Amino acid sequence: MIVPGAMSLTDRFLELLGLDPSTAGPLLVFGVSILAAGLVGSFVLLNTAFAGPYAKRKITASFTDRISVNRIGPAGIGTIVVDSVRLLSKELIIPEDADRPAYDLAPIVLAGSALLAFAVIPMGSGIQLADPEIGLAYVFAIASIASLGLLMAGYASNNKYSFLGGLRAVAQNIAYEIPLVLTGASVVIFAGTLQLGNVTTPDTIVGAQQATLFTIGSISIPSWFGFINPFAFALFMAANLAEVGRNPFDIPEAPTEIVAGYQTEYSSVYFVLFYLGEFIHIFLGGAIIATLFLGGPAGPVLPGIVWFTIKIWGVFLLTQWARSAVPRVRIDQLIQIGWKGMLVLSLANLLLTAVIVGVIA
Amino acid sequence: MSLQERTPSEPDVGVTEDGLDYDELEALLEGRVLDREEHVNAEGFVIRPDEVEDVLSTLKEEAGFDHCSAVTAQEYDDRFESIYHLKKYDDPTQELSVVVPTSKDEPVSQSAAGVYDTADWHEREAYDLVGINYEDHPDLRRILLPETWQGHPLSERYNQTQPQVVPLREHANPLEEDHRGSGDDSDTMFVNIGPHHPATHGVLHVKTVLDGEQIVDLDPDIGYLHRSEEQMCQQGTYRHQIMPYPDRWDYSPGGLLNEWAYARAAEDLADIDVPEYAQVLRTMSAELTRIAAHMLAVGTFGLDLYGDFTVIFMYAVRDREVVQNLLEDLTGQRLMFNYFRLGGVAWDLPEPRDEYLEKIRDFLDELPDRLEEYHNLISGNEIFQMRAVDTGILQPETAKSYGATGPVARGSGVDYDLRRDDPYGYYDELDWDVVTEDGCDNYARLLVRMQEVEESAKIIKQCVDLLEDWPEDDREIQSNVPRTLRPDPDKEIYRAVEGAKGELGIYIRSDGTDKPARFKIRSPCFSNLQTLPVMSEGEYIPDMVASLGSLDIVLGEVDR
Amino acid sequence: MIGILKGLATTMKHALDGKTFTVKYPEEAPEVSPRFRGVHKYSQERCIWCRQCENVCPNDTIQIVMDDQRNGEQYNLHVGQCIYCRLCEEVCPTDAIVLTQNFEFTGDTKDDLAYNKEQLKNVPWYKDIDPLESREPDRGSWVGEGEGEVDYQ
Repeated sequence: MIVPGAMSLTDRFLELLGLDPSTAGPLLVFGVSILAAGLVGSFVLLNTAFAGPYAKRKITASFTDRISVNRIGPAGIGTIVVDSVRLLSKELIIPEDADRPAYDLAPIVLAGSALLAFAVIPMGSGIQLADPEIGLAYVFAIASIASLGLLMAGYASNNKYSFLGGLRAVAQNIAYEIPLVLTGASVVIFAGTLQLGNVTTPDTIVGAQQATLFTIGSISIPSWFGFINPFAFALFMAANLAEVGRNPFDIPEAPTEIVAGYQTEYSSVYFVLFYLGEFIHIFLGGAIIATLFLGGPAGPVLPGIVWFTIKIWGVFLLTQWARSAVPRVRIDQLIQIGWKGMLVLSLANLLLTAVIVGVIA
Repeated sequence: MSLQERTPSEPDVGVTEDGLDYDELEALLEGRVLDREEHVNAEGFVIRPDEVEDVLSTLKEEAGFDHCSAVTAQEYDDRFESIYHLKKYDDPTQELSVVVPTSKDEPVSQSAAGVYDTADWHEREAYDLVGINYEDHPDLRRILLPETWQGHPLSERYNQTQPQVVPLREHANPLEEDHRGSGDDSDTMFVNIGPHHPATHGVLHVKTVLDGEQIVDLDPDIGYLHRSEEQMCQQGTYRHQIMPYPDRWDYSPGGLLNEWAYARAAEDLADIDVPEYAQVLRTMSAELTRIAAHMLAVGTFGLDLYGDFTVIFMYAVRDREVVQNLLEDLTGQRLMFNYFRLGGVAWDLPEPRDEYLEKIRDFLDELPDRLEEYHNLISGNEIFQMRAVDTGILQPETAKSYGATGPVARGSGVDYDLRRDDPYGYYDELDWDVVTEDGCDNYARLLVRMQEVEESAKIIKQCVDLLEDWPEDDREIQSNVPRTLRPDPDKEIYRAVEGAKGELGIYIRSDGTDKPARFKIRSPCFSNLQTLPVMSEGEYIPDMVASLGSLDIVLGEVDR
Repeated sequence: MIGILKGLATTMKHALDGKTFTVKYPEEAPEVSPRFRGVHKYSQERCIWCRQCENVCPNDTIQIVMDDQRNGEQYNLHVGQCIYCRLCEEVCPTDAIVLTQNFEFTGDTKDDLAYNKEQLKNVPWYKDIDPLESREPDRGSWVGEGEGEVDYQ
């Protein structure tokens, strides 16, 4: 069954320009698409820029009873600018025996893969670049390219710590990618489609979550998959922590063990790209969680984009919270948890969901 | 777990009700004692340099001297001398010094590393600084100074003006292929952890051979923070100039505890009495320091296991800050106190006294809540337990053989605390307990520290009560001490106190001047760090990092 | 799991109570205790050039230059080298050298931190606290008058 996708952002732009999307010339569509992609990318980067040099510090500081950045601008918000300039103007040091193309490509692969995945995420208020039928598969496929970037970085740096970090990253990503995808699949079984869709398209993942689950008094609880299957939601959250490499799973970096893991040898612009890439990944994780389990951009009163932002920031806050309060597990324990625990649980979840959905259907 | 491997049915040779019977010990050694020396703390048996292993193993097996505190090496006009300071873990007041003189031309002495594992590093240090060669030593390399160093700085023949410049090519190239471990085509990888590494707690260099993530071989390389502390003390006068320096050995802060080590040794050397009131002040301030030091240890251990954004480190530092404020009010500094004086302390409590004591009470009242938070965050956390329980195992017998002391030994169930076993200060008048844990792992060592904070709080509380009720006309903080101290020549003493990390001992030999002729520091961290390879071989890197954190070393004290 | 949740709860409690432990330095200058040892202040009127401070200094921070009539000419103190042990103040019979609470000083080079007589005189009191006031009650304590064979130097 082919569901007509939600109207993409490109089409909306074309309509704004007074053109008919179906008849516009390919060159024009391309140009407008670039514009739309730029808008989405800017939105993501804006969040990242706010999170990386500023919000992260403030959040960690509030957990640890500190003030943190407060000098430049009101409440230190100008730190974002200052930090960007500082990081970008630093000397780019490249190790002598670095494996050049791989070394240079790694940060771009990492940051790029996360950004690309945002193309199909419905962000509410009509912001969605495309809505392919295989939306969810695309997201998982693109997002996992990141581990290739980490391996490249670890290998190409010609540093033993980087190497260990790169290997750890890959081992971890493989161990947690599978539970992640399997848990995501349980949502697919519920929704009956891979298409992410939008609030207005009922036969898609997001659309299916807009129905009312039950009503308490005047408040109607929507049938978000997080409410329908909280177990899968918890499982996905945990796997997502590992996927983005945050405590208790920040093993690929593990500063107290292997210095900074795969990014040990990266400085200046490359480091910024890594840093950005990591944060985009956290937000992508948040976006996937919001889309799959929290009804996408849906929410009362406020426009969709605001709700979407709130949801991804909620997930970001959670990662920072875990970072300050949860110890790091050891690499062998991590792999054990991944293959012996998460995988089994996610398979059970998938089977159970399939059975329940089958019985109901 | 039974800690008494030897059956206590027959007492050790030489033990009588009023101390050690040195004659009986001499008889045990069957004429191998050439001469007997009187040291202030114990008698010294002079033996031949080729009978060291023989004598020491007899003393260890049959006389129960299972603790080799330290090895002091020094040069006289006519000879080199190594002194093995022996003690017993059961009763550290039973001491014996084994003095091994060697000739000046050919300073060769048999190694004791076969008897006491701890002698390995101590003899390496003696070789490095003084220049005595130890025969049959498993690995006689320099330890504090670089491999390329010329001469032995504490020997008389050392040329201080000789430049020690070494061209780069004479150093090992850190980048070259290195697969040490087993053969050329092995799968091992050699990694230098440190000297610049987030988890080495300072400038420690750990040469690690990895098989995957597991450690095959490990060799701590120390000396990056060697600051000639012993020699600096040899150049200072007893009365004033030495006291500021102990603060700088263990700056975690173990300051006052270190000062006490020097104060105790020098006071016993020069027969100086300390007024009781000053002893109470010393006890209280030293325990405050211990709390601060343990807070830092717990915080950094949390940091090692959590990663760099953990809250536990900040909470520990915040609470330590409160202690430091209290110490600042009392001593005038936050880390480098210089508060003790020979024969007393520098200052009485700050005025108004009640207010200050109230501040301490407030801190003590809040402490249980704080510790509850720590337990919530670290010791009670399941992931933390996964990481810390059953990793970094240090068996009690190994701990004893390596001369481990302090929380490291007590975490392995070795019930050894000089505050109780060899009482000084005001400790024996107070009601407190020695904390031991039988886990022998990283977790046990952490628990020991956290409980010791509680015990220290108990001690402080009692001291505060005592100080509050102390009669006003009896508040003598300093006894009469001449402005220049000249202890009698050739007096030797080895005295130890329970520092934050364990047995902190000082050996002083006087030569009739107002400066010590030999000043040797027995650093607890130095001995404790030796156990790292035992704890970590076969474990994962993260466990090695955790073990290192649980040892709580301060490189300033390791390297001195 | 309960332990992990407890940890999370503890941190969240701290985040929500809004209290901070750090202060906004330098707007909010820290309280320094009266006994705190900072940069030295020197008084030429009081100094009798007995050189005891120079003698007692553990690491030769103080350098005094006198002419052949034993009149004081220079009093140099390298605050960058000083370990703030306060022994000079302790031995000074006239309180000519005291350690103020002032810890806020900088220098671009090591040489900038070698203070001469004039610089030492001009060291400001920290928050106008004269440390002598607070130390007075205990000043008698730093050296006992020994009995019998005592070397008074």
